[in-house]
Amino acid sequence: MRDSVLLHKTGPQVAQELQACIGCNECLLVCPALAEPITIDVLNRETLSGPISKPVARYARACYQCGACVAPCPVGLHRDAMMMWLKVRLLRSGREE
Amino acid sequence: MSRENKAGISRSYVESADIVIVGNGIAGLTAAVEARRLAPDARIVIITDQCHPTINTPALKQFATGKLEREQLLAYPAGTEREQRIHVIQAHVESINAQGKYLCLEGGGGFGYGSLLIATGSKPNGLPAATPGRDFDGVLTLHRLADYLDLRRRLCEVSQAVVIGGGVHAIETVMGLLSWGITVHWLVRSATIMPRVLDQPASSLVLEHIQRAGAKISLETEVAGIVGRVGAVAGVITNQNQLIPCQMVLVCTGTRPNAALAKHCTEPMLCKNGILVDDHLRTSVRDIYAAGDVAALKNPQTGSYEPRAQWYSAVLEGRIAATAMIDDLGGRQSDRRGGSQSERAASSFGVPWHATHLGELSMLTVGNPLHWSDEITTLTDSSKGCYRLMALAGDRLVGYLSLGPKQPDSLAIKRIIDDGLPVGSIKKALLKGTLDARAYLSQRRSEAAHDLVTTGKLPDLAPVASTGKGASVMRVLSSTASLPAAAPVPMPGVKQGQASKTVRLPETGPLRAAAAPVPAPMPVPVPAPLAAPSAVPRYTVPLAIVESEEISPFTGNLPAVAKPAASPSGSKRFQPRPQPQGTARGRSSSGQKLLPASARLPAINVNSKEKRPLRNLWSYGDRRPVVTNHGGGHSKSDTARRTASAH
Repeated sequence: MRDSVLLHKTGPQVAQELQACIGCNECLLVCPALAEPITIDVLNRETLSGPISKPVARYARACYQCGACVAPCPVGLHRDAMMMWLKVRLLRSGREE
Repeated sequence: MSRENKAGISRSYVESADIVIVGNGIAGLTAAVEARRLAPDARIVIITDQCHPTINTPALKQFATGKLEREQLLAYPAGTEREQRIHVIQAHVESINAQGKYLCLEGGGGFGYGSLLIATGSKPNGLPAATPGRDFDGVLTLHRLADYLDLRRRLCEVSQAVVIGGGVHAIETVMGLLSWGITVHWLVRSATIMPRVLDQPASSLVLEHIQRAGAKISLETEVAGIVGRVGAVAGVITNQNQLIPCQMVLVCTGTRPNAALAKHCTEPMLCKNGILVDDHLRTSVRDIYAAGDVAALKNPQTGSYEPRAQWYSAVLEGRIAATAMIDDLGGRQSDRRGGSQSERAASSFGVPWHATHLGELSMLTVGNPLHWSDEITTLTDSSKGCYRLMALAGDRLVGYLSLGPKQPDSLAIKRIIDDGLPVGSIKKALLKGTLDARAYLSQRRSEAAHDLVTTGKLPDLAPVASTGKGASVMRVLSSTASLPAAAPVPMPGVKQGQASKTVRLPETGPLRAAAAPVPAPMPVPVPAPLAAPSAVPRYTVPLAIVESEEISPFTGNLPAVAKPAASPSGSKRFQPRPQPQGTARGRSSSGQKLLPASARLPAINVNSKEKRPLRNLWSYGDRRPVVTNHGGGHSKSDTARRTASAH
């Protein structure tokens, strides 16, 4: 099996999910890895594009993909997939430096 | 030079803007941000009478029960409007002069517009005007932030409350109050709840659930009057001649569009249960658009025009309206460039859908699961406290309703319905709620790509109820292109090397940090987008499939597609395992190119020749997980490794 990052969702799907996010914060409220206040709008915006701020970067690193964020989502989105994309983006942007 | 028009307003002294948006709900602000992204130099103004910035309305129910603070309600990071140079003016718009293209504000001012977007949202129905006692203190109609602030403050003082209404809003309010330990009486006018969305068994399931949570439910009950004591509410009298004592009455009786402006417009604007708009969100008046709760869109399955009062729809409509406005603005000001850009936004709403929690149950409804004629077969399943209903037209899913503890993948099911994908093989899974959407959709794409390449024939565009672009292949791309900004994602691939280069250039230009991910190639003459059925260079489609959908997330299982004849500059994009990232990444613009770069994602899984130190993204353990087949194979002592805490 080749090296891979198993991503649940494709790029456009993640973009679509980020737009469907209603900002209810359920996922953040149950996240065991969230250690400081982060607002959902900032998280959504930085997941797909733009510079990643320090708190969000720390959060992205702390996320260990437990999947607890998926169950409470009223819309049926996959926050774990979105976080994985954020991690991947963080990693790549780190590499570019 | 001052010209006075008929209203006596001196035109040259009236402020004006290229894009004027009335209302700063999510549709309005999304449209403004998107318009700024597409037209970096336009003057964009939002006129609103709301005294606070745009908030995440669905989060208000969390806010009411104290789980969130006001700062967390903001829909966009604070200061977004200033950063995007969107001017926000607090004023009430009284009427529109469509010939002179200006708005009349309350207080006598005027405001000229190039393109106008009406995003005034909805207003609550409240209690019937004749209900005695509706003015008592403690009777709240929940709709805006102020109402929820009021509710939040009262929660500590209230021990009994009455909730009136039969929809999702009422359910959320009931559950929120119950979580605070307040005794709740819930009065519902009809015999079932959410009659347009749930059928009888579904409604009973939900009611049972809520009853178990502790609410006292009265069906077929209306409020006859509200009783008070020295100005504050003391109880409710129902039409069943019952007196229910309470300290708070919450009215959640639905909303209707705020379409007053349509009636105060000098040109007739079609408006019936919302401002009627076409697929590009244009109203019947030139240069005026409508989006959000106020706009009545065509339901592709029933053909009737009704507003889609959903968050997701409002966001999408905002973006599409912005695209249409900028297109038309651009077309008017100069020679029409990229003629069919507006086609990109065509019919990308798909069927209406709604996903939410009803207490502990998750509800998903997509398309129209009920109210069909006889050609539609319905399948239902109720087991283990769940309920699922599917409406099928032959092999196609046309409606889906799911109630259960787990929420299915709503967007995947919406895609299945929108695209008219055949569901024969997954019927059972859909019915039981065990659908693996990812496997199914990627299977479809593989099959489609395979067909395309082996037969050399284009798929037929079997007309779907929704949009007429039925074929799964085309729709796969256009459904990912269903967001106008996402449309360019497959398109760079479509045009192989040459366009991918030209399209890439503007990415670094107009992109702003807070803007949406994918740049719209507005300044670039993008060729006929895939959304337009008449697009000519169809034979490049399989490349796009391979590039944008197949390569990135799924590992190893690439479709058995012959390597497309690589074009000179595009060649590196089409290899399943892209070469070292450095070359493929091109110019960096602070990570803004995520989507077009999706093809390169697997390269993260480091080419064995490269030993880049990976940041430790996993917070547990010091070692990275062992990955085989990695030059060397075992966990490395990585000098650049960081633990999660040491940032």
